Amino acid sequence: MTQFMGRVREALRGNRRVDPDVLIGRLDAVRSFLDAADGHLPSERLVPAHTLVERAGGRLALSRDHTLVALAGATGSGKSSLFNALAHMHLSPVGVRRPTTGQAFACVWGAADAAGGLLDWVGVLPRNRFARESPLDGDDEAPLRGLVLLDLPDFDSVEAAHRVEVDRLLGLVDLIVWVVDPQKYGDRVVHEAYLREFHRHKDVTVVVLNQADRLSTTDLPKVLGDLRRLLEEDGLGGVPVVATAAVQDAAMVELRRLLERTVAERQAALRRLSGDVDSALARLDDLVGGPAPSDVDKATSRALADALAGVAGVPAVADATERAYRHRAGAATGWPLVKFWRKLRPDPLRRLHLHTPTVVDTGLAPADGDAPVPATTSLPDPSAAQRASLGIALRTVTDKTAGELPEPWRVAVGDAARSRLGDLPDALDKAVAGTELGVERKRAWWRAVGLLQWLLTLVAVAGLGWLVAGYIVRALGLPRFDYPMVGEVPLPTLGLLGGLAAGILLALLVKPFIRWGARRARRRAEARMRESVAEVGRDQVIAPVRAVLRDYTTARDAYAAAGPPG
Amino acid sequence: MVPEGLPAALARLRAAISAADFPLALTSAAEAREVGAALVAQLDDYLLPRLARLDAPLLVVVGGSTGAGKSTLVNSLVQARVSAPGVLRPTTRAPVLVCNPADSQWFRAGDLLPGLTRTTKPSVDPHTLQLVAAPALTPGLAFLDAPDIDSVVDQNRQLAAQLLAAADLWLFVTTAARYADAVPWGLLRTARLRGTVIALVLDRVPDEAGDDVPAHLAEMLEANDLAEAPLFVLPETDVDGQGLLPDRDTAELRAWFDRLASDANARAAVVRQTLDGAVAALSPAADGLAAAADEQAAAARALRERVRAAYRGGAETVERSLKDGRLLRGEVLSRWHEFVGTGDFFRGLEARIGRLRDRITAAVTGRPQPGNQLKSAIESQLTTLLRGVAGDAAENAYTGWQAHPAGAALLEPSLARPTPDLPDRADRLVRDWQRGVLELVRQEGGDKRFVARTAAYAVNATGLAVMIAVFASTAFIPTGLEIGTAAGTTLAAQKVLEAIFGDQAIRRLAAKARQDLLDRVDDLLADEAARYFDRIEAVGVDADPGGELRAAAAEVERARSAAALTVGSKLALPQRERGELR
Repeated sequence: MTQFMGRVREALRGNRRVDPDVLIGRLDAVRSFLDAADGHLPSERLVPAHTLVERAGGRLALSRDHTLVALAGATGSGKSSLFNALAHMHLSPVGVRRPTTGQAFACVWGAADAAGGLLDWVGVLPRNRFARESPLDGDDEAPLRGLVLLDLPDFDSVEAAHRVEVDRLLGLVDLIVWVVDPQKYGDRVVHEAYLREFHRHKDVTVVVLNQADRLSTTDLPKVLGDLRRLLEEDGLGGVPVVATAAVQDAAMVELRRLLERTVAERQAALRRLSGDVDSALARLDDLVGGPAPSDVDKATSRALADALAGVAGVPAVADATERAYRHRAGAATGWPLVKFWRKLRPDPLRRLHLHTPTVVDTGLAPADGDAPVPATTSLPDPSAAQRASLGIALRTVTDKTAGELPEPWRVAVGDAARSRLGDLPDALDKAVAGTELGVERKRAWWRAVGLLQWLLTLVAVAGLGWLVAGYIVRALGLPRFDYPMVGEVPLPTLGLLGGLAAGILLALLVKPFIRWGARRARRRAEARMRESVAEVGRDQVIAPVRAVLRDYTTARDAYAAAGPPG
Repeated sequence: MVPEGLPAALARLRAAISAADFPLALTSAAEAREVGAALVAQLDDYLLPRLARLDAPLLVVVGGSTGAGKSTLVNSLVQARVSAPGVLRPTTRAPVLVCNPADSQWFRAGDLLPGLTRTTKPSVDPHTLQLVAAPALTPGLAFLDAPDIDSVVDQNRQLAAQLLAAADLWLFVTTAARYADAVPWGLLRTARLRGTVIALVLDRVPDEAGDDVPAHLAEMLEANDLAEAPLFVLPETDVDGQGLLPDRDTAELRAWFDRLASDANARAAVVRQTLDGAVAALSPAADGLAAAADEQAAAARALRERVRAAYRGGAETVERSLKDGRLLRGEVLSRWHEFVGTGDFFRGLEARIGRLRDRITAAVTGRPQPGNQLKSAIESQLTTLLRGVAGDAAENAYTGWQAHPAGAALLEPSLARPTPDLPDRADRLVRDWQRGVLELVRQEGGDKRFVARTAAYAVNATGLAVMIAVFASTAFIPTGLEIGTAAGTTLAAQKVLEAIFGDQAIRRLAAKARQDLLDRVDDLLADEAARYFDRIEAVGVDADPGGELRAAAAEVERARSAAALTVGSKLALPQRERGELR
């Protein structure tokens, strides 16, 4: 049964070769996830992934011909004895006092120089490095060439510093051989603080039950079975479990074979990093959710534009525009005899400092090619309710676009929507001031009516003049001249009265047209201002939101790309 | 014999500890809950029964790491295979108590460790206590084989801690491979602080370790202030056919226990020393709980304060908007101008004909009456303001809680937004207020000169004027400039406002109406904030949780000094016979 399981395991493991290109692709994806997420998400959430990218870059840049194998275990489990037994040399101090090893020792099979960079990176002191290559061995040690074996300090003793060093080194090595012994294989610290943390690194984990010689031949299988059960609970079901005894060469054969195979495959480093990517992705899991909307929807932008229009004072300006139209049209088309009354009244738009810059074609382009900067308007400050409605609109933008996103992204979208809140009033003011309201230009029909009014007035004046002339002639007793008659009415009288009456009538007649035109002008001005204001909203609110959504989508795609192949 | 007052004080402390609750997710809470449960367990398991009978047999709890050989040691000490040793870790899961048949009556009675069911058969249920009678054991002494303190099985660790807390004497078993492990040393330090009497066995010392390991362990004991504790060294050997350690290895240890068992004074001294230490340790532990409980109350206060601050900020925004006249801009102002400009206002004040004519005009032109328009403008401005303010406040309160560890645990997403029916309630609030203002005018304005007697229409017009006055605040009379810039106005509208604000009666009415509005807004915001407060109420935090704990602890401490348990009987453990060591 065990053999069968072993074969199944071999088959499974054999299939899981890590292609370096795939791994590099996954790492690149993690990097682009980080690029997209940096600045939007709380940085402490991204630390593990940053560490991974950095560490993976370091490891891949160094020798891939070497395999870093660490012996890790509790104090007194015989790590150093095992280390020495594998090296056939007394390299690491073995002691009965606990804890023993406080520093990591390294033994390199093959030329020590070649692994120098790797050991520098791992941080093993030069005096603790040994080379295991001597002509005396012949080819006995050749299969292990490329192996860099590390003897780590313990992690469960009263010396807390040891644990720190172990934690650091365990993050760097390619393959971990966990050394347990019959006394300690069920310890909590081994399982909960360490083995369980490595459940995503099944294929670079080996568990060794050392000091197997202290168990009877009947007890050994029982203990191994129990150890496998515990490993299964740790999520490490299926990892190789080997019984060894550092004091007996024969009991080391299986572990040696395993190491030889690992070294020959040159896969451990890639598998380790691949497992690291899996772990890092698992921690990023809750930062990725469903797809983000590609854009802010129409209704939301409209609500935003409405709120911004309120804050910008668009209704007030539109009102003023309507009145300005009436004012100006009245000035142009009114009955000339009372028109001057209007001049006494101020132009409503001028009062807001909002007379649009008249477009004068001087034939000269402005020096810097820019439109002239409109002066600040005297629009009233937005009312409290308008401010409140802007707040509501911004919140709606956040809710509508980021409602389905994971919480940290939702916060990022909210922040983005509000990021330029300080610039908004000024931008809105400029937008309103820069909008052509369309009431500067005198309408052709105003001129025509104005001309007609003048003509009529002229007729009336001419009639009056004629009448006056006739009166004077009569008064002076000169031979009076006959007025031409139109029917029963003399022509001058008709001219005077008709001119006056027609002028008043005309003024009254155009009134509805002016009102209609004013309403039209109002609507047009309102539409134009709303367009400018909406543009401001797009620039200052929607663009930052869209940028975050884009980054989210990038991060989400990168997360998917970094996922395990297949 | 039994010290007076102490049991009662302990019972009071026990009640206080079980009443203490740590519902908020603070870092100290989980620990406090654990400590509290452990203290209650110790009081029930050991202190109260032990105080009731100081002369009961001495209980030696054999504890230590998994695989240290505790069961084998107990078997060897009582010369019988009472606890099953094994190679699988952890071995012992249910505790086994071994005593002389003469003593078994006391242990069977169940005063000690009442939570464990007595059984006579081997069991794997950790809630049982297997009682074994061993005639070879000297009366007056009982051994308890406890589960390990450091294996992966959580239940074992909890049970071991519970049993150690019930020990008169802790026989700590470690091995040559384990004696520097961090976990047992933590427990040893705790035991020393608590004054528990400790003896140590260094088991499984291989030949090559020789004297080196015992010497190092002795050094470590000294460094940890445990040099007093007797240390016995047992070599790594094979067990005999019975599963017992060879006689010559355990002889010294057995002899030591025999002497302890037969010396009633020494036994009593051990009991009193441990008991006194355990009672003395209660007070600091209870103080720690009190501090944690106070922290809970403080956290609850801090959370409430954050919510209050957020909603107070909302109320202040409303008040400020009223005060600086910001609400009197835009829509409301232009409607007011229309209202005054069309002459509605004065007509409204003066005659009823106006109303009739206006109705006809409205019917013919299809335009709503300016008065109604003004009213609804006021309504929409206020409603929007309230919605915005409530939204901001909810968001601020939410962020405030999120930044607090206990707050973050209480949050749910819906709290970040105002209640869904807030717009409706804001609407209703504004309409109620407007009705209230009209009511106020009707009641108080009967004799005012511009309120034509009982004319409903006049009441309306005056009411609107009062509302406008509220919006412009009583402290501030809008000048022509202020209003002029808003949007061109007619002279009449300005004059009217000036006349209105100059009038004492309207100002008084406006002040009342303003207060009414602010009160209503406060109520609305209080309703919103209540959602947060409810969540704190739901978990239930006492106002002064630490007080009773401290008082009870102080009483225990007083009773302990009065009882003077250790006075008069000096702890003198039997000397170990040296020389037999290998």
